[in-house]
Amino acid sequence: MSKSLYRDVLLDHLRHPRFSGKIEPADRSASAYNPLCGDELELTLALEGNCIREARTQVRGCAVCVASASLMGELLQGVSLSQAETYGALFREAMTSGELSSKDIFSLRPLLEVRKHKSRVKCALLAWNALEECLQNFQTTS
Amino acid sequence: MPDSLPMARIPDSIRQDFPVLSRIINRHPLAYLDNAATTQKPQSVIEAITRFYETSNANSHRGVYALSEEASELYEQARGRVAQFLNAPDTHQIIFTRGTTEAINLVAYSWGRSRLQPGDRLLLTEMEHHSNLVPWQLVAEATGAELDYVAVTAEGHLDLDSLASQLAKSPKLLAVTLVSNVLGTINPLRKIITTAHDHGVLVLVDAAQAVGRVAVDVQELDCDFLAFSGHKVYGPTGIGVLYAKTEHLDAMEPWQGGGGMIAKVGRDRSTWGEAPAKFEAGTPPIAAAIGLHTALDFVERLGVAQIREHERDLAELALGRLLEEPEVTVFGPRNPAERTGLVSFALAGVHPHDVAQVLDESGIAVRAGHHCAQVLHERLGVDATVRVSVGVYNTASEVHRAVDVLAEVRRLFL
Ligand SMILES: Cc1ncc(COP(=O)(O)O)c(C=O)c1O
Repeated sequence: MSKSLYRDVLLDHLRHPRFSGKIEPADRSASAYNPLCGDELELTLALEGNCIREARTQVRGCAVCVASASLMGELLQGVSLSQAETYGALFREAMTSGELSSKDIFSLRPLLEVRKHKSRVKCALLAWNALEECLQNFQTTS
Repeated sequence: MPDSLPMARIPDSIRQDFPVLSRIINRHPLAYLDNAATTQKPQSVIEAITRFYETSNANSHRGVYALSEEASELYEQARGRVAQFLNAPDTHQIIFTRGTTEAINLVAYSWGRSRLQPGDRLLLTEMEHHSNLVPWQLVAEATGAELDYVAVTAEGHLDLDSLASQLAKSPKLLAVTLVSNVLGTINPLRKIITTAHDHGVLVLVDAAQAVGRVAVDVQELDCDFLAFSGHKVYGPTGIGVLYAKTEHLDAMEPWQGGGGMIAKVGRDRSTWGEAPAKFEAGTPPIAAAIGLHTALDFVERLGVAQIREHERDLAELALGRLLEEPEVTVFGPRNPAERTGLVSFALAGVHPHDVAQVLDESGIAVRAGHHCAQVLHERLGVDATVRVSVGVYNTASEVHRAVDVLAEVRRLFL
């Protein structure tokens, strides 16, 4: 396929988004919105102690936004909140540097392609912004 | 489909006047189809700005030496050119601003804050650009005035019944666009302004998408205020225009204070000069005004009527082809006579940004998003659209190229 941004992995996640939808009632939830393009998503978490039992994202957005939320969803199932926080930080760092510094987030590699298109980086980060907000809520309420 | 239009109104050779059009983007010749956002600049405009800095640069209005007088004169000549272009009765009715946005903010601030009282109404339309919407929200917040909206019909026209019932509420002002930057609709403002005036309602016209594309004559329109941006008519960024009737300019207070706008400055108070100086505090954008002057010369050389025909032909082509494309919804009037050279559409199941990205990979620049018209997109029931908008240098083959890529978009995403 010639259209480099839309590699097979991203297209697969676009066509079959993993862990999409909304958990009700959720233990944590956060919405994120990109005013530039109107993309919108809501992340809901069901917790068990300090672990994410289930994470789901409801997305109204572009391919990059949907695929990023889907890839994030795969990573988050069953991990601890602090692990989730680490993944978020690692992914942000990777989006800035272009290097994956940890094997843990290897599955996010296709998203790094987005770095070539500055205007789309925000789309890739939208789900992660919601995650960050969920975790902040967690820190302040615990 | 033929590659060129049956009757080329503007020769393809015009492209040679625009250096940027020779760029290769992603291994394809650039097809620039985002002219509603900003137009490219002809060599003559680029040269006029360069020439000013090379030969005449000085601060205007401040010096007695030759160079400063020259700069002042060039700046004032630009004002005269704009007045003539809009058919304004008097040159002092042309205020230079940074753009349409600043021109509207000037009116909202200077006129609005002194005129509006709690309970007063301001009338907008659902198709306004954020720059003809947010300034009014700010002034409404500050004064306690209330906002109403003229509805937009399913086909993308102003709903004249809605307009009539809103005018009956006696708003103080109607702020309305001459051409929608999403639908392309050319609003019948002459009639609307007459009706508004019959109700004692002032009218501000957002002409950002109109000047240089359709005939704009402020006396014929009889509008109270009119705003446009230089960069959308082949001029530079950083310059725009507010036209206003003299009676309003005389009654309005300045909105910014500083050099150039004063009559006399004391320790505690100052007095102002007359318009336009009263509304142009600080060193003006001299080079940009000169660029705008040259851009209007360029437009007039081609002829607004010719440009209109050229853009309408291309819009008709785009409209016709898009309507034949599977999964595509086109917004705005079906009749090319009722719209300018921009066509917005949605491709079911594919986000507009993804459509625009794939087009970009073929060197085609189009815009995707809400185009600073979220109220309208809400009305249309979509989050975002893809917009193709043409200018004088666009060709039929560029429009074909853009629509042809949609097959690839569908293959990729659907
Ligand atoms: C209809 C309309 N009004 C206002 C504007 C704002 O113009 P500017 O950003 O140049 O101030 C635009 C373009 O962006 C427009 O299309």
